[in-house]
Amino acid sequence: MGLSFEGYVREDGSAGTRNHVGVVCSVVCSSVVAKDITEKVPGTVPFVHGNGCAQLGDDFKLTKNMLVGIASNPNLHSALIVGLGCETNQVSGLLESIPETKPVQGIGIQQMAGGTNTIDKGVGIVEQWAREAASEKRERVPVSSLTVGILTVDLDEASLQSAAPVIGGAVDILIENGATVMMGYSQTLEPAGKLLSERSDNASVKEKLLTASETLKRKRWKNINNPTSLGSGFSEEEKAFAELEAKMTGTSPIKSLLGYSQTPSEAGLHLITVPGNIVEALSNMASSGCNIAMVVSGRGVLTGSLALPCMTVVPENPNDPFEELVDYKVSAKEVQSQAEDLVASLIEICSGKQTNLEKMELGEFSIPHVGTTF
Amino acid sequence: MKTFKGYRRPNGTIGVRNHVIVINTVGELAGLTKKLAQLVPGVIPVAHQAGKAQYPEDLEQTVRTLKGTAGHPNVSAALFLGMGQGDRAEEIASELAAEGHYVHAITFKDKKAISDVLKEGKLWLEKALERCRSQQTETADVTELIIGLECGGSDAWSGITANPSIGACSDLIVRDGGTSILAETTEAIGAEHILAKRAVNSKVSEQFLKIVKDYEERIKDTGEDIRSANPTPGNMAGGLTTLEEKSLGCIKKGGNSPLMEVLSYAEKPTEKGFVFMDTPGYDVESVAGLAAGGAQIVLFSTGKGSPTGSPIVPVIKIGTNPKLYEIMSEHIDVNAGKIIEGISTIDEVGQEIYDTIMQTANGSFTAAEKHKNQEFAIWRLAETI
Repeated sequence: MGLSFEGYVREDGSAGTRNHVGVVCSVVCSSVVAKDITEKVPGTVPFVHGNGCAQLGDDFKLTKNMLVGIASNPNLHSALIVGLGCETNQVSGLLESIPETKPVQGIGIQQMAGGTNTIDKGVGIVEQWAREAASEKRERVPVSSLTVGILTVDLDEASLQSAAPVIGGAVDILIENGATVMMGYSQTLEPAGKLLSERSDNASVKEKLLTASETLKRKRWKNINNPTSLGSGFSEEEKAFAELEAKMTGTSPIKSLLGYSQTPSEAGLHLITVPGNIVEALSNMASSGCNIAMVVSGRGVLTGSLALPCMTVVPENPNDPFEELVDYKVSAKEVQSQAEDLVASLIEICSGKQTNLEKMELGEFSIPHVGTTF
Repeated sequence: MKTFKGYRRPNGTIGVRNHVIVINTVGELAGLTKKLAQLVPGVIPVAHQAGKAQYPEDLEQTVRTLKGTAGHPNVSAALFLGMGQGDRAEEIASELAAEGHYVHAITFKDKKAISDVLKEGKLWLEKALERCRSQQTETADVTELIIGLECGGSDAWSGITANPSIGACSDLIVRDGGTSILAETTEAIGAEHILAKRAVNSKVSEQFLKIVKDYEERIKDTGEDIRSANPTPGNMAGGLTTLEEKSLGCIKKGGNSPLMEVLSYAEKPTEKGFVFMDTPGYDVESVAGLAAGGAQIVLFSTGKGSPTGSPIVPVIKIGTNPKLYEIMSEHIDVNAGKIIEGISTIDEVGQEIYDTIMQTANGSFTAAEKHKNQEFAIWRLAETI
């Protein structure tokens, strides 16, 4: 048998590395009530954000899909959706879209005639779920139940030289054991599109990667349908740097390039679009189904995700890292044995060992914008 | 002349509250900002996800909003948390300090550990809180007040009861030499000709028509119908049928005074009287813009019932119908539903709102303050990079 971890088995066959009871607001207007509910019940986690109303088109769809994704994440034992009532992002619409594989309920402040009633009702619901979640036991499950997100933050060339081969080795081990890995496809990795495209058999994935490798494009206020270029294409230096970062993806074929909140349709290696905002990037990975994330950084990152344990990995000679955040430090040891160590540490965390970010209770949730609010 | 007791700031403005806040300059520090506020009871966290990976127009708007929030007359002291690299915490703090504001920035540069930053931040906030508690109020009058005008969760009564009453109140404030800011450009669409006619000169009129036109074009650019977002499902359940109808009711909050000036989001008025600020119809972002523009109090009409407030500004909720007041009185400060029942006139409720403003300015808490509704979000213009 291959590698395994102790996880919470879900009805749909997936497994959680954590057993959170989520309280999700549909709109910023119900964020305080959602948070108030979680403050009264230990074991519950608030997924509050600034979106949910006066949004149009893709920007609205992204908000809705992210919340559906978070509620569906295997690390959530159950999810209570708290709405206001008059918002664009209706609770009923969310409930229709969330697969019925776990306890999910929705309540609204206007329907309950005020915040106080909503808090009372919500507390009653999540207290019951929190009791159920606390009584559940971890079970041994294969690593094929893992979906690992990898996010890089503020790495310089020396850091990449040190860390990339080890991360790449760990990714290969995870994939050999049937896991799904999502590498954050951020603006630092985009210039390596050409190199990465050679690892995909899929023509449309190839084309997307090649196009992305030309120049950085994002949607802007006045050209909402025509993403504009920032700068005049990637420099040779940016390309060389990206190709070094691409070593972190190991050697497996690239199955897909996922957009915001898209979920992979098969195990193996995927790229996932992430914004430069760390909280939004990790939240996006969580809504795409990741149950753990590895954050590879030259310094360590001062925030994690509320849905996922985020393991902080720093290179051999990090730049003034936040020592209290480091979960794994790359060393001068042989690459393959380090890759095995890294996977072993990751599995420990998946089985319940707290990350340093979790110990410090540093975690957030946020939804990226792809357009303006109206 | 109506007077109140407020807190005089070094730059001459007057606050109706005396808050100590902690505010992050990049999203990565939102969690630590909240943690720091928890360490010092009485301190209000202003946490958000803006400040990084944004287009220049968004960054500029973010900085303007953060500066307006920290340098607000209702704020006694503000602590910025920044990374020390790749953000503007220190620069913003020193600019505000030069204007006389009591502000400070703590960043992670010089290899500071997380525990050091928390310790240093806690000490500064405790001192700031002590200083704030020793500050005395002085008498000020309504000419120094800027009142923001907002509506959220509108229904068919909004344009008949609460909004015209807010309009009556706005006219009284303007008559007495104060300032009122109407906002929400989305909800001027279809009614812009009425406000444009009230502009004090052709320049202001053109400026106003331009921001409404820009907004409409931006909506068309998305390829979407604004009706899929506005009126919202709740507006429609409340009896509103079109955006034009909602707009005609929305602009009633502006009363009948001449339009003196058109402001960008989070920009401070230079004129007294009735002015307009370019904000989205998204309540929390709009209120944050009004507050950052210097409004000390916001009036907010609601038909369906919305609990939202602001971290720094008292938000006065005006309910549009008697049923709402009956079932959701915990979120309503003034019941304009009395107009439907024939108990009060629009002018009487307008006067009642004015009285509530003065009581609030003197320190009485609004419903949103009692429930600690401190929502904060900055209007986003473009995609996260």
